[in-house]
Amino acid sequence: MITLQHVSHTFRIGKKDNEQLIDVLKDVSLQIDAAEIVSIVGKSGSGKSTLLNTIAGFLKPVSGSIHIQNTDLTTLNERSLAAFRLQHLGFIFQNFQLMPSLTTYENIELPLKIAGVEPRKRQQLIQQLLKRLDIAHVKDHYPNELSGGQQQRVSIGRALVGNPPIILADEPTGSLDSETEREILTLIQQLNAELGITFVIITHDDEVARIANRIYTMHDGDLKEATNDAL
Amino acid sequence: MRFKDQIDFVRQHVKRNRLRVFMTILATAMGCAFLIVLASIAFGLQTSMKKELLSDNAITEIEIYSEDKLDKQKIKAIPNVNALVERAEIMAEGTAKFTLDERSSTPYTQFVDFEQLAKTNEKLAQGTLPKHDNEIVVGYQFAQTLLTKAQQQALDNDDEQTKKEGYSGKLLGKKLTFTYTVDKKNVLTKEMTIVGITKKPSREWDIDERVMMPLSMLATLKTNYEHVTDNKQQDFSYATFRVYASDLEAVKEILATLKAMDLSVYSVTEQLEEINILFTALKAGLIFIGTIAILIASIGIFNTMTMAVTERTREIGVMKAIGTNPKLIQKLFVMESAYIGILGTIIAIVVSYVISIAVNWLIPIALEMATGDKAYREVDLIFSAIPFELVLIASAISISVAIISGWRPARKATNIDVIDALRQ
Repeated sequence: MITLQHVSHTFRIGKKDNEQLIDVLKDVSLQIDAAEIVSIVGKSGSGKSTLLNTIAGFLKPVSGSIHIQNTDLTTLNERSLAAFRLQHLGFIFQNFQLMPSLTTYENIELPLKIAGVEPRKRQQLIQQLLKRLDIAHVKDHYPNELSGGQQQRVSIGRALVGNPPIILADEPTGSLDSETEREILTLIQQLNAELGITFVIITHDDEVARIANRIYTMHDGDLKEATNDAL
Repeated sequence: MRFKDQIDFVRQHVKRNRLRVFMTILATAMGCAFLIVLASIAFGLQTSMKKELLSDNAITEIEIYSEDKLDKQKIKAIPNVNALVERAEIMAEGTAKFTLDERSSTPYTQFVDFEQLAKTNEKLAQGTLPKHDNEIVVGYQFAQTLLTKAQQQALDNDDEQTKKEGYSGKLLGKKLTFTYTVDKKNVLTKEMTIVGITKKPSREWDIDERVMMPLSMLATLKTNYEHVTDNKQQDFSYATFRVYASDLEAVKEILATLKAMDLSVYSVTEQLEEINILFTALKAGLIFIGTIAILIASIGIFNTMTMAVTERTREIGVMKAIGTNPKLIQKLFVMESAYIGILGTIIAIVVSYVISIAVNWLIPIALEMATGDKAYREVDLIFSAIPFELVLIASAISISVAIISGWRPARKATNIDVIDALRQ
């Protein structure tokens, strides 16, 4: 489903006359199958977020290829990448990244509006999700009126509503307390089991990483597969 | 994204920054209103001048001055010529007098080819055009010239009030005695019936006191005159000719044909053309000055949109991340600046109409107060006019400038880096 082959990326840091090159991804290869949960664990600055950004198409690697469902993302232009993301990828962010001026309902509705889904169909899809994510009672609340857990559920709702086969989660529980963290992780496992959605989770938290079928560790741009016991 | 959702999206963002957007709309409205009001003065004055020019002259009328070379049949044969009306007046010495009971008048007398005049759109206030030799048409104010001897004497002593009195009875159908004398010798005496009264002159200061007699009378008068004076008259009368075209479009072609016939001609359309050229230049100049005001307002739009993009960097990043086409992001921001432009323009149009009405109402009052002359209020002068074409021009300029102002910030929005934006 997701195949990375020899992906490398370098950041240029500093002024032009005193530029430094930092290898953030070093010949990374990775194969993720459908309906898998894969965790990528690493310290800050290890390159795990850069890896997620390349999978998402936010960043074009210096070399290597990224295939998602038989499409090579490195060959797509920005417009095609946007269309691809809209159809195939969902995103969960650490700090939720909800639109402050939109209500719970409207935030979840956003990808459907972008995709041009007709209002009646939108309403139907959102109502189902609101119930499933247990946030129907806060559908008219704005993000600043919601708890962290509720905000992350809205974020998950927004990622799920377009029915993408893959969800990329960047520190999905990073801003949550341990109890809410458990709730969100359970939800992710349920969605994976029931809907067959593939999850790629970036985290620095070993507890979070353990919900995955496979775990990878990232260290100075190197990706290695790890076992649950090794964490 | 559906168009309705795009509109909702724009309105939602406008609502969030109500005050800032309102101030920008206000600046746009002021710039656009300035343009419309400024140009409306040129449109208003042009309308006034046209009205003034056309008030007395039929637009399809062509005057011919070269009497000697006139070939009437040839002129009548020109395509789209409806009529060729001859009007003559006596040049030789003598007095034409019209008497009604104890009153009399010596008005300006014209001999008209009524048969041709009937083919034009000549309209009378009352009655019809003469069909017989003993029928006449009198001017709207002719009655004022029918005075008794006492009134005539008072008038000679500069008593203006007497002139205003004149004859107050009904004139239509009245029989007047026409006498033409030269050196107290009678040339012709004939009873004439008033069958028509001309329309009130459109200009307030114009007075129509003339008598229009059938052209056929002129030949009889000339014969009698020569018999009485025992003198052949070469320059007994002077004639002027007017050609009436079937429609406005035909005037230009007829003018060219008449000029080719070596005739001196005049048509109000020629003067209109000159006026139009002059006012087109004036309008263009004023619109240009007004556009500068809109361009100044556009700095506000540019500023507002740049701030909107900067403030929404994170949101734009999220939208791009979840799959929004960069072109759509650009379109949404351009729509937002267009929204400012459209609202500003609508407000400007409404305000401009109010100002225009106020100007047309207040300026005559102000002029009357300043000069003490009531004519300014009586004369229907237009100082400011806003035709639909001006609304269209101003709207096009204002909305285009608004869109162009929002273009760069919108481009900036599409170039926002998702990773940087999400870090904010």
